[in-house]
Amino acid sequence: MPSKDMIGRVLSTGSATVTAEHVAAFAAALGDDNPEYRGAEAVAPPTYPIAFMAQAMAGGLETFLELGLDFMTLVHGEQEFEYARPIRVGETLTLTGRIGDIYEKQGSSGTLDFVVIETEARDAAGAPVFTSRNVLISRRT
Amino acid sequence: MPLDPRTVRPGEALPPLTKPPITRETLKAYGPAAGDPNPMHLDDEVARAAGYPGVFAHGMLSMGYLGELLHRAAGGVAGIRRFRARFVRLTWPGDVVTCRGTVTAVRDEDGQRLVDCEIWTEDQRGERKVVGSATLALRT
Repeated sequence: MPSKDMIGRVLSTGSATVTAEHVAAFAAALGDDNPEYRGAEAVAPPTYPIAFMAQAMAGGLETFLELGLDFMTLVHGEQEFEYARPIRVGETLTLTGRIGDIYEKQGSSGTLDFVVIETEARDAAGAPVFTSRNVLISRRT
Repeated sequence: MPLDPRTVRPGEALPPLTKPPITRETLKAYGPAAGDPNPMHLDDEVARAAGYPGVFAHGMLSMGYLGELLHRAAGGVAGIRRFRARFVRLTWPGDVVTCRGTVTAVRDEDGQRLVDCEIWTEDQRGERKVVGSATLALRT
């Protein structure tokens, strides 16, 4: 079971440039043909951070394994985004992911472990762009 | 049509959005586009080994559909300030997802009209699958 001592630890980091192709492909996979998501001046759909984080971030696997979650029962339980402004094609964002919280709840099928991964995205000027909170849930077996 | 900042009030429904039926092709396209390699959404054998009857849709696919609902209600992506979703029940190939929402509060802050909404997806039987909330900032 995850130790609360791990709250605040950096999990993974990364930096990447938002490309028109990546944003358009993501919008297309959602069947969303909005013109705001196409072209060199495009902005990104509100759930695009999930794709960008997967592309841009690396490392943290050892720390993640140290959490001791049960991978067979691990699910993405909840997701939250806060936006300071839209993500724009052509800009470079720097991401830092941390363990934001660790807690447990009693469920009908036993003890559930909750781990909150908080990822902050900043632009080249260091200004915040978005924050992601990803709640992972695993059942102790 | 986006919500009208002059008339928006608690209890008002967001214009609903019904997406085409989810197919295995939908899931095959979403995984790579989102950088999610989880075979649980592509391979029935893997899903069955984990105790599911077969492949199921990515929770983030449904949240993406809710993003389209919010984008329309806000009149642009810049109007979405906060967006939260809880993945309560699974969505399956063949399901027809409808996104809905209701305004829960309207308040003014720093010269902007902020609108809190409860949002959810439901399938063709009206069962809620992904439930959440959002805050929109409407242009006045």
